[in-house]
Amino acid sequence: MEELIYKLKEEIIDVLNLEGMKPEDIDENAPLFGEGLGLDSIDALELIVLMEKNYGIKLKNANEGKEIFKSVRVMAEYINEHKTK
Amino acid sequence: MKNKYCIYQKGHSIISPLACGSSANFEAIASGKSQLRSYGQRWGIPEPFFASVFEDDNVINTVEMRHCTYIQYTRFEKIAIKAAEEAIRNADIDASSERVLFILSTTKGNVELLEHLGSCHDDRPYLWYSAQLIAQHFGNQNTPIVASNACISGCAAQIAAYNMLQYSDQYDYVVVVGAEVLSKFIISGFQSFKALSPERCKPFDANRCGLNLGEAGAAIVYARTDKPEELADSTIIMEAGAINNDANHISGPSRTGEGLLRSIRKVTKNFDTQRIAFINAHGTATLYNDDMESVAINRAGLQDIPVNSLKGYYGHTLGAAGIMEVILSSIALQKRMVIKSLGTEQPGTVQALNVCMENNTAHGDAFLKLISGFGGSNAAVLFSLRQGSVTRGQGSGASDQGPVIRGQGSGVSDQNSEFRIQNSVVLPQITIGSQGIDDQLAQLYRNIGMNYPKFFKMDRLCKFGILGAESLLKDYNFDRENVKADWGIILMNSASSLDNDRRYQETIATDNYYPSPAVFVYTLANIVTGEIAIRHKIGGESSFYVMPEYKQELIEEVIDHAFTANPELTHIICGWVDVDGEECEVSMGLYKRGEMETWKREVVKT
Repeated sequence: MEELIYKLKEEIIDVLNLEGMKPEDIDENAPLFGEGLGLDSIDALELIVLMEKNYGIKLKNANEGKEIFKSVRVMAEYINEHKTK
Repeated sequence: MKNKYCIYQKGHSIISPLACGSSANFEAIASGKSQLRSYGQRWGIPEPFFASVFEDDNVINTVEMRHCTYIQYTRFEKIAIKAAEEAIRNADIDASSERVLFILSTTKGNVELLEHLGSCHDDRPYLWYSAQLIAQHFGNQNTPIVASNACISGCAAQIAAYNMLQYSDQYDYVVVVGAEVLSKFIISGFQSFKALSPERCKPFDANRCGLNLGEAGAAIVYARTDKPEELADSTIIMEAGAINNDANHISGPSRTGEGLLRSIRKVTKNFDTQRIAFINAHGTATLYNDDMESVAINRAGLQDIPVNSLKGYYGHTLGAAGIMEVILSSIALQKRMVIKSLGTEQPGTVQALNVCMENNTAHGDAFLKLISGFGGSNAAVLFSLRQGSVTRGQGSGASDQGPVIRGQGSGVSDQNSEFRIQNSVVLPQITIGSQGIDDQLAQLYRNIGMNYPKFFKMDRLCKFGILGAESLLKDYNFDRENVKADWGIILMNSASSLDNDRRYQETIATDNYYPSPAVFVYTLANIVTGEIAIRHKIGGESSFYVMPEYKQELIEEVIDHAFTANPELTHIICGWVDVDGEECEVSMGLYKRGEMETWKREVVKT
């Protein structure tokens, strides 16, 4: 799980162009949206693409993301459970 | 204050999957018809979608080649030409005259061609090229303008036409043509935004769940007269139009409806709103757009006026929408009708609206068109019906001094304060090889001393625009905390968003199909005006035009029109921001109304 969390952080930094951020800078237990990383609705949509592209997980609607993107840890747990590749 | 001219519709036409011609389209929607339907596999898009698409290409294939025999017109060009042809015939004008200007409204034009072009360079996907083909089809030699302002393009084009006729003495007629064709490019992008409804859209409905897209072409010939009393009864007059930016988010509508409210207030100022028979809203049926419109309409105090959306008939026809919906609303006004908002079953917006649920009788002699879009732009346009001697048509505009002389400070606002078009800042041209371009942009960002992490999420066009504006305003003393409704931003270029379009195209390759919403959002050229508006809290007019090449005279003319038409504007950022593969060019100025003030900055050299 810790390995997946680290990898996920790298992917998030890359796909969301979080300039100057390193995986260590992201608290895996902190909320992804709202405070902190300053992510917005387009970032949330891009995370949906990341899940599909890298892990073969297809979300039916964007609202499901609200629960999954609570924190990097929650996201990693979801991926671990649902990944198809 | 009165304007010199009355600007009116002299002819129009619509070509849609529903019908050919304005009247036929109106009859079709008056009887509740729609061509919106579900498509399974089409254009190689894996997900099904619900849209209004031309099924019978025979209709559009009736366009004959003229004036250019060496190429075939594309679907997009045919639809635009077909609409313009009919409108010009109805208006009975000589479109080849040098006194006629063409303005094209489209968001993506021939973008579908990118799929087969690969890295080959071809002029065909350039919006200015399509505009030129269309104008030349009618033998018109003037350089056409393209209004590419995302969803509000159609209304932006009509406002530009109004300004050209009202404030410039070059033209007697402006042919405004809007067209959009759907493709894998556009549908996949909206799908990646999770913005599409899997069924017929439900504008303003409590259970609305997204928009439908549609194809269409529409054209209006606008004319001017200083003798409105001689106009035929039932002529539709364009009273006023306004565009304001929310400076909020590049794709999300403002929760407060601020920009749209400012546009509504501006066009209804000095106009008896009791005369407004209905509001033809944007009504895309997305949760946020319809809520935002409901807030703006309520804040403007117009919530009792019947509201409709025509998206349930045609879907959102993007660059054609603002023109097609104005034509259909004009006919409705002439027939004293309010067309029902097809698809709305149970209205449910954050603020209540008087949504028109059945075709009704119109009470009033005017209608208000609203439209909003990506990049934070919000337009309102007011139209009235000429009847007998009560025509106004010279209402709420800005100047009574007639056309102003460009660049000589002769424009007059309604406060009678002089303004000068101030040729203050022109940034040096930038040309950067494509190699390491992003690294060089990042270096420039650091050199300028910016701290704006969002910069790194932008496409190159926006990065250049943001850097240009940052340099322009770095040491300028102005309010950086509050949205400034007295500041405007108008940018132009020749490649629109093609540089980023090619990038998005790579994300929808057949063997690697993962449409990226973060890339798609930048496939609209006017997003750069939106990004600058957000960064510097610019809340006045924001517009984007596309043309073949940089022309200082045209830039000055556009600034001149903007200052004249918008008396509240004190500052306009205006310029040229073009990125096209290895070619990058930024030239931006701050133009200030009032006393001369010149200052220069050294920018972006590599």
